[in-house]
Amino acid sequence: MNIVVCVKQVPDTESPRKLKSDDNTLDRAAADGVINELDEYAIEEALLLKEAHGGEVTVLTMGPDKATDSIRKALAMGADKAVHLVDDALAGSDALGTSYAIQQVLGRTGFDLVILGAESTDARTGMLAAMLAERLGVPQLSLANKVEIDGSSITVQRITDYGYDKVEASLPAVVSVVEKINEPRYPSFKGIMAAKKKPVEKLGVADAGIDADKVGLAGAATEVVDFADAPPREKGQIVTDEGDGGAKIAEFLASKKFV
Amino acid sequence: MLEWSDEDLMIRDAIRGWIDAEVRPHLDALDSGELPPYDLIRNLFRTFGMDEMARSSFKKRAAGEGSGRSDGSGGSGGNPSMSILPIVELCKVSPGLVTAMGVSLGLAAGTIMKRGTPEQRERWALDLLTFDKVGAWAITEPGSGSDAFGGMRATARKVGDEYVINGSKTFITNGPHADTIVFYCKLDDGRDPRDREILTFVLDRGMPGLEQSRPLRKMGLHSSPTGELFLTDVRAGADRLLTGGGGDGKASAKQNFVTERAGVAAMALGVIEECLRLSVDYAKTRVLWDKPIGDYQLIQLKLAKMEVARLNVQNLVFRHIEMQRAGRTPTLAEASAMKLYAAQAAAEVAGEAVQLFGGNGYMSEFRVEQLARDAKSFQIYAGTDEIQITHIARDLLSR
Ligand SMILES: Cc1cc2nc3c(=O)[nH]c(=O)nc-3n(C[C@H](O)[C@H](O)[C@H](O)COP(=O)(O)OP(=O)(O)OC[C@H]3O[C@@H](n4cnc5c(N)ncnc54)[C@H](O)[C@@H]3O)c2cc1C
Repeated sequence: MNIVVCVKQVPDTESPRKLKSDDNTLDRAAADGVINELDEYAIEEALLLKEAHGGEVTVLTMGPDKATDSIRKALAMGADKAVHLVDDALAGSDALGTSYAIQQVLGRTGFDLVILGAESTDARTGMLAAMLAERLGVPQLSLANKVEIDGSSITVQRITDYGYDKVEASLPAVVSVVEKINEPRYPSFKGIMAAKKKPVEKLGVADAGIDADKVGLAGAATEVVDFADAPPREKGQIVTDEGDGGAKIAEFLASKKFV
Repeated sequence: MLEWSDEDLMIRDAIRGWIDAEVRPHLDALDSGELPPYDLIRNLFRTFGMDEMARSSFKKRAAGEGSGRSDGSGGSGGNPSMSILPIVELCKVSPGLVTAMGVSLGLAAGTIMKRGTPEQRERWALDLLTFDKVGAWAITEPGSGSDAFGGMRATARKVGDEYVINGSKTFITNGPHADTIVFYCKLDDGRDPRDREILTFVLDRGMPGLEQSRPLRKMGLHSSPTGELFLTDVRAGADRLLTGGGGDGKASAKQNFVTERAGVAAMALGVIEECLRLSVDYAKTRVLWDKPIGDYQLIQLKLAKMEVARLNVQNLVFRHIEMQRAGRTPTLAEASAMKLYAAQAAAEVAGEAVQLFGGNGYMSEFRVEQLARDAKSFQIYAGTDEIQITHIARDLLSR
């Protein structure tokens, strides 16, 4: 089975994140880059499926040069090879542009299954899987916390507010995963040593047959027009328990519509 | 080597992630001695495939010898950073865990690998190298520490094909839990005890006449159980005697001193890096007289000295890695110099970190007091500071 995992490098959630003042896009150079957390679960799921059913796992990353670190880590975890789509023309792409660019690359690599994290910790649009499935004309199975493959059919448990739906489709397909799905492995030392020998194909926009007008900041259908810092957290409210503490807390939660 | 390579950093980050998830939540239990370190070490080995690597490099070495070929490395094979970085990172939180691991792998398994026959290695060393079993290395006795061999009282008497061993050992790392014990004693052949040959045996937990004490109470390093061994007429066949590697037990133990002392430098680096990081954070955030304490020169002096120590010890560690890559081992005097400097630097940095943190420094929550107690051990085990000094001076004066 040919499994492609889309892996995005995002700024470390533990370091402060900034938007650039000139074009309102994320300052990716300012923060340490790490693999988007949910993508680690996507990689793990791909590796588990490969271990169970055989095949090959390809990491697909669109991002600047320094995303190489994240690609190496995915390879160290056990992926077989990687495709790195890297081109200045891609900078500032929105979800539409990104899904188009990735679709073009997938056209080259081929796939039986594309696995993505359900969202990224930086932009958090959570739309890429749906857009990609639509562009590729294959079923989308979103928010999976369990994936099973039987021949050419795939079944997932899709988490919902009330439990889960069981969703079935035929391959090829696009799956997005949530963190309940597995426990991502640490790269083994052997894996880390092997990673530097695994193939990483670097593609530019032209190599991948991407129309440069449809990607990047200029090609984006959406625009960040303004941004502001989150307001400082307001002072908390202290409930003194005079025998009615529980009731007061319940009242407070209800007033905020939490319960 | 100027800095850690990209590959090294990937190893470091992976280990850090594992430590945060698996070790930090247990630091109190480790530091109270309530939680022995062995399951965590096994978890480390499994998580990073260190057990598999040890097994395959063991097999490779055995096969190489069988066919008369050997790459002579015998170790982790490849990148020496791979064994150094876990030591550095783990020492930031638990120098005791590293002590327990290092004694089992470096000293117990190391001795069997150097001096054992292929059968003995297969029988005892392999399980130690994968950390399926825990090893101890027993030289010190109540009456002999620095004068380890001169004052040694434990004896082995030959009776028929067997040896009968008697004596007691103390301060033995992993003593209470060890499955496999590398035991040093003197051959009782009627000669003057000072002239007797040193023999090295491999003993198994549960042998009749072998008693392993409970952990001793101590100042720090609680995550490394330290105990006593009592032997009363323990009968050991010649199959348990290690005779290879050239020289007697004394010469071979000295080879171990080199490994052990160089290893302490990596341990010291971990303690120093952690104390420095915590101290810089604290100096920036603790405000007195409306200024962060980092603005006061007496605090700056502490930080600057810690940084000097960090640079020096890191250079020693890098040099040691380079030597390993070049297939060279430091001399005993050089290893002693490394250990002397690194141990003193770690103990001093950790002590100064406690001071910089003030009352918080004395409180366990802020972590530096544990590191200060733990780092003190570096100046005592693997040869005291004073013994390192005598080894360095003896070498200088013999030139
Ligand atoms: C935590 C811990 C773990 C240990 N683990 C092990 C282990 O696994 N296996 C093992 O065999 N041993 C182990 N040891 C023992 C350790 O190696 C000895 O404690 C150490 O070598 C010192 O010996 P001693 O305690 O008998 O001190 P002593 O030798 O009695 O020394 C007392 C003092 O005299 C000084 N001194 C000694 N000789 C001289 C000299 N010639 N000139 C000047 N000063 C001198 C010493 O430096 C020290 O300050 C461990 C010790 C500790 C604390």
